[in-house]
Amino acid sequence: MFTEFFTKEITSALKRPMIYIFLFIITLLVFGAVASDNVVIGGSVGNVYKNAPHVITTYVSILTIFGLMIATAFFNNAALRDYENDFNEILFSTPIKKSAYFFGRFFGALVLSTIPLLGVFLGFLLGAVIGPAAGWIEPDRIGPFYFSSFVNNYLLLILPNMFFAGAIIFAMANQWKSTVISFVGTLIIIIGYLVSGTLLSDLENQVLGALTDIFGMRAYSVDARYFTPMEKNTVSIGFSGWLLYNRMIWISVGILILAVAYKLFSFTEKQKKTKEIKPEKKTITQFYLPKISLNFNAKSQLTFFNSFFKISLLSILKSTTYKILFVFSTILIIVTFYGGFEYYGLHAYPLTYNMIEDINNTTSIFVIIILVFFSGELIWKDRNSHINEVIDSTPHFSIVSLIAKAVSLVIVTSLINLFLILIALFYQLINGYTNLELSVYALDFLYNNLPKYATWSMVLLFIQVIINNKYIGYFISILFLFLLDIIFLMLEINTNMFRIGATPSMTYSDMNEFGPALPSVLWFNLYWFLFGVFCLLLAGLFWIRGTSESFKIRVTSLKKHLNKNYTIGISSVFIAFIGVAGFLYYNTQILNHYNTSDEDEKDQIAYETTYKKYENSLIPKVVDIKYDIAIYPETRKVEAKIKLKLVNKTALPIDSLHFSLTKKWNQKIYIKNAKQVLNDEKLDYTIYKLNKALLPNDTIAILVEATYINKGIENEVSSLDIIKNGTFFNNFNILPYMGYNEGVEIADKNTRKKHNLPEKKRMPKLEENCGVNCMQNYLSNGRADWVTVETVISTSINQLAVAPGSLIKEWQENNRNYFNYKVDTISQNFYSFMSAEYQVARRKWKGIDLEVYYDKKHTYNTEIMLDALQKSLSYYTENFGPYFHKQARIIEFPRYSTFAQAFPGTMPYSEAFGFVIDLRDAEKNNVIDFVIAHEMAHQWWAHQVVGANMQGGTMLSESFAEYSALMVMKKTLNDSLKMKNFLKYDLDRYLNGRSGETENELPLYKVENQGYIHYGKGSVIMYALQDYVGEKNVNTALKNFLEEYRYKEPPYPTSLNFLNHLEAQLPDSQKYLITDWFKEITLYDFRLTEASYKKVNNNYEITMKVEAYKLKADTIGNETKVELNDWVNIGVYADKDEKKLLYEKKVLFNKKNNHFTFTVNALPAKAAIDPRKILIERVYTDNTKSITEM
Amino acid sequence: MATLKIENLTKVYPNGVKALDNVSVEISNGMFGLLGPNGAGKSSLMRTLATLQEADSGTVFLNEIDVLNNPIELRKTLGYLPQEFGVYPKITAEQLLNHIAILKGITNGKERKEMVNYLLQKVNLYEQRNKSVKGFSGGMKQRVGIAQALIGNPQLIIVDEPTAGLDPGERNRFHNLLADVGQEVIIILSTHIVDDVRELCSKMAIMNLGQLVFHGSPTDVIQELKGKVWQKSIARTEVAEYQQKYQVISDKMIAGTPLIHVLSETNPSNGFELVEPNLEDVFFTKIN
Repeated sequence: MFTEFFTKEITSALKRPMIYIFLFIITLLVFGAVASDNVVIGGSVGNVYKNAPHVITTYVSILTIFGLMIATAFFNNAALRDYENDFNEILFSTPIKKSAYFFGRFFGALVLSTIPLLGVFLGFLLGAVIGPAAGWIEPDRIGPFYFSSFVNNYLLLILPNMFFAGAIIFAMANQWKSTVISFVGTLIIIIGYLVSGTLLSDLENQVLGALTDIFGMRAYSVDARYFTPMEKNTVSIGFSGWLLYNRMIWISVGILILAVAYKLFSFTEKQKKTKEIKPEKKTITQFYLPKISLNFNAKSQLTFFNSFFKISLLSILKSTTYKILFVFSTILIIVTFYGGFEYYGLHAYPLTYNMIEDINNTTSIFVIIILVFFSGELIWKDRNSHINEVIDSTPHFSIVSLIAKAVSLVIVTSLINLFLILIALFYQLINGYTNLELSVYALDFLYNNLPKYATWSMVLLFIQVIINNKYIGYFISILFLFLLDIIFLMLEINTNMFRIGATPSMTYSDMNEFGPALPSVLWFNLYWFLFGVFCLLLAGLFWIRGTSESFKIRVTSLKKHLNKNYTIGISSVFIAFIGVAGFLYYNTQILNHYNTSDEDEKDQIAYETTYKKYENSLIPKVVDIKYDIAIYPETRKVEAKIKLKLVNKTALPIDSLHFSLTKKWNQKIYIKNAKQVLNDEKLDYTIYKLNKALLPNDTIAILVEATYINKGIENEVSSLDIIKNGTFFNNFNILPYMGYNEGVEIADKNTRKKHNLPEKKRMPKLEENCGVNCMQNYLSNGRADWVTVETVISTSINQLAVAPGSLIKEWQENNRNYFNYKVDTISQNFYSFMSAEYQVARRKWKGIDLEVYYDKKHTYNTEIMLDALQKSLSYYTENFGPYFHKQARIIEFPRYSTFAQAFPGTMPYSEAFGFVIDLRDAEKNNVIDFVIAHEMAHQWWAHQVVGANMQGGTMLSESFAEYSALMVMKKTLNDSLKMKNFLKYDLDRYLNGRSGETENELPLYKVENQGYIHYGKGSVIMYALQDYVGEKNVNTALKNFLEEYRYKEPPYPTSLNFLNHLEAQLPDSQKYLITDWFKEITLYDFRLTEASYKKVNNNYEITMKVEAYKLKADTIGNETKVELNDWVNIGVYADKDEKKLLYEKKVLFNKKNNHFTFTVNALPAKAAIDPRKILIERVYTDNTKSITEM
Repeated sequence: MATLKIENLTKVYPNGVKALDNVSVEISNGMFGLLGPNGAGKSSLMRTLATLQEADSGTVFLNEIDVLNNPIELRKTLGYLPQEFGVYPKITAEQLLNHIAILKGITNGKERKEMVNYLLQKVNLYEQRNKSVKGFSGGMKQRVGIAQALIGNPQLIIVDEPTAGLDPGERNRFHNLLADVGQEVIIILSTHIVDDVRELCSKMAIMNLGQLVFHGSPTDVIQELKGKVWQKSIARTEVAEYQQKYQVISDKMIAGTPLIHVLSETNPSNGFELVEPNLEDVFFTKIN
């Protein structure tokens, strides 16, 4: 009998279209993504195939959420169909078995709900065949399929997820016999998933996040986080790791839920709870038919509105769904706030913009659920309650009831938003943050949320009215809110004028407030609001009064409602909408034309194919620059005159000068005795022919005029450099680039292949004795060596402008501030210009001016920053050599970017981290100090010595700066275990980075400007190096290297030059480290198989059994085991929490299985290999073990 | 004096069913009963009159109001109780009536309160006014429906199957209530319960297959059949035989044996006896 119910469930669904529609949609989505280059989901970039097993799993994960909706439909239907058709009493009075009915239905629905997700596989198969065949993607973007990745994804993700979700939905549907409750079940699942997601944010909580994720997606990401491209291409999701535990947990929970549901399920009707209606005390009052007057004037429409509004609002506020959503959004925001604003283990102050971002992230999903769900509920409320005929036959205008519905939707969504703001304020207060910026909360709500809620409400009501079928209406609504974005992405439609409710993105900054996007946001809000109103007015005409009719009849009956006033109203809204649309179109498409990425690519290709021939033209180098810059923050305008002196440092005469211009800046070039022979305005390339060739060592003067003007409003703000408060640009923005700029070329190798461009010339290979390639450094690409710079910079009267060097003179003129700066020493041609309403904190240290330029709201860390400057200057001058500038400045800039950067003597530092991280708890690692130390270190590593423009160049600045900063930190903390806590982020950065590598991973000494290598790996290797060979030796090598090349004219040094200095400091026994760590990609894999102790007298004899491997990886992650003969630390902790290291020593691992014994004088709790985690290992958890008594 | 004039009203559903087939009738003040078997087109007619359904052709005028082209005007003076009257969940009887009263144009709060209280008392629900309507029994809900149809002193009241689900006491109370207001306005009462019409209506019509097969006063039509209706108790097995032989208008069980009514100008003898025709005989005569 089980089979009967089971097959009946499936066959009857197969006869209906729903399952095929879902299957088709998913297939189409995946197909589109696989067969198109514009959609990149799941990291199918670089060397990872579009159909790699890892990518397939990612898609399955993402679409599981979508699958959840499908599961709801099937399980709800399986549980409630008989009740809804009032067939239950007939069916249950027949002699069927409860188990057969219950499980037959359940498993039937389970099979059904997994079918649409098979569309993922279908989409992959079709996309992989059709995509290359149609020429949409390159054939070599498709790799082999693995049968196991289909089977395993089905068995590990699709089936268990549908099983678990189904168990909950089926149980709840059976228990409460209501479709709404089934939706609530779905919501609970989604929210459970979101809550567990907030756990994953910190490195520490990853395991917890992996296990609590009901869909297993995060467990897989933790398992696969360090996958190399090679592994992504070949390794299918498997029955192992955290995922296996996760699946076991959630399948068990699912079985439990199902068992309970089965126990509670019964064929007999539950006794319905009916409240007894107690007759109230009889009234004696007798009422008489009153005299009444009927009013249908404008004022009474308001009364109609109020009554409709009250009814709609109450129906939402009293509904279980809304209450649940309200409670869940509250829980979610509290959990999110509780997690704080983590940054490398530290927390930011609860600044208003942080709170707002969390609130907006949290509310967005709830708002969409509420709007979609309740727009349908409201439109169908009368019909579902069977009161529609009564209401429809009253003399109200349909539009009044629709407006009331729209307003109540806006109110209920705003209520959640405002309540979360209250929680945020409360959170700020209990954290002792008393700067409550109510106006910022209010304005953000008015600018970003309220207009969206209104627009969406109106449009979604319109959809429900027009579609006139609740569930198809839901489907179309979701399509509009989500899928449309994906389709636009595929079609490269970027305009905000097509995506309902869309506005340019706007970031609030304490420095620059709502910033330059605000006017544009307001215009788009108006545009969408008018659109919404128009939709609503249209809906008012199409709204069915009475019986459902065909669309044709609806159109005829529409005319009856279209009276004169209505016609005037709807036409004026339409005209206003068209007007605003025209205004926006002119501003965002014509006045501020932007390129789609395809158009950008075309320009890049044209630039490359037209001007690549000039790549090796001779270029004179800049030696001296005088800037005259006027910044007008209020109007976002900059005018600059720059005088450059260039010298022909080549051995041949130069007869023409080439320039690549910057698009956003209007740049004019003036050269005496020269003629412009080419001016390509489209590709921004220009050539000047000199009347008399510039002979070797001769100098030429050039004048450049550059203007930046902001016009009208934009679709997306294209430049956040020049703004009201916090202008920040550098010399590369303002000056044209001399000659052909290789940086313009398309870098992605797959895109290049698609456009038949030759493979991009990689960074020059590292050479032992290099000639011409060492004549330029990687910072200025041969456009300059060491230069002298002087600047006159002016800005508005309330701002300070900062340029590199010492401030020589300061004055006011024409109600503006003027400053004259001059760099005290020759320096890199690489510096910034900034202007804002700064406060300045100053300190003098050994004749050097330490300065922090900050916004008045961010006073928290200025003293700590000055300390950090002082600490690093002290370590570096002592260990590396003198500092040549007379000042060291930290300058705050708005949070549109999050970085810090080192220019000669000045370090711009984003407001997003340095200034707003809570550093009051001195116990923690201070990453802010670390960043300052890093940037200060660049004053030596980059600004005194800089690598040649070839492989390994960035190691000489970035890795060394990391090392230097680590040494400052080590000295400050004086605690190796705290350093371990900090270094884990570097290791994570490296392992994560190589997992996402799109080209080739290179050994450290050949790094091609890859951040995860020169920062992440560089830190780990250099730290381990000083641990192995001594800090002093490493510093000596660095100092010797610096002294050889400091401020030297080319040739510039390479990483090999440094390694020579390093080798000189190492004993022979340790020279293998240079090969393993710098010249090759080496990973270790250790496992502590046994750890025990024996008490001998008063001491403890420890035995550790170790399994060890050393692996060499190639550039795409293929690993080979190599012979082991390495010194590695082993040790024991006094405590379980690994807070106190009792004992540590270096031992030699020279075979697979090693055995060590040693004696300690206190009882240890845990043993560990590499206890301070200084070596590169992918899995560290098996390195430690609790010690047991033998 | 109000007059509702229906002329050539026709409505064909997309599936080809003729719901209204060229219906013309004039109705004036008082209770008008609309009888007809299931599917006769009663509800289609009612909905069309209540501006809830479009007609294909024809005209409807309530005095000067062009009902089909100016629905809003008619709605201002309409009271309508649909066949299926439901209620919003989680709302009390008083709140519901208050909402509808507003929509009917009683914007003065005081007047509205009095009106609602009056009607609640009239339908005997005043004591339950603060209870959620969702928990009401079928009969109580129906009474709420009746109350709402009377809000705002409508000129035209359309009630579709109003007494379905009411117990005899409720039904009587309802009849009295309608009779109270029915003097000065038009009340159209659709039903398939012949007794409702007999007890209440001075004018009536019978519909079948979308057509108006009869229209006039109940007494006149009964008069028409006087001396033509004969009855006889027969055995169960004989029913088919009698149906062949005679023009049988009804066949119902009385105390376990079939009692048939036949229509005949002359005495069919064979044990038949003459009976006083009733409205039921009229009904069956007209629709067969």
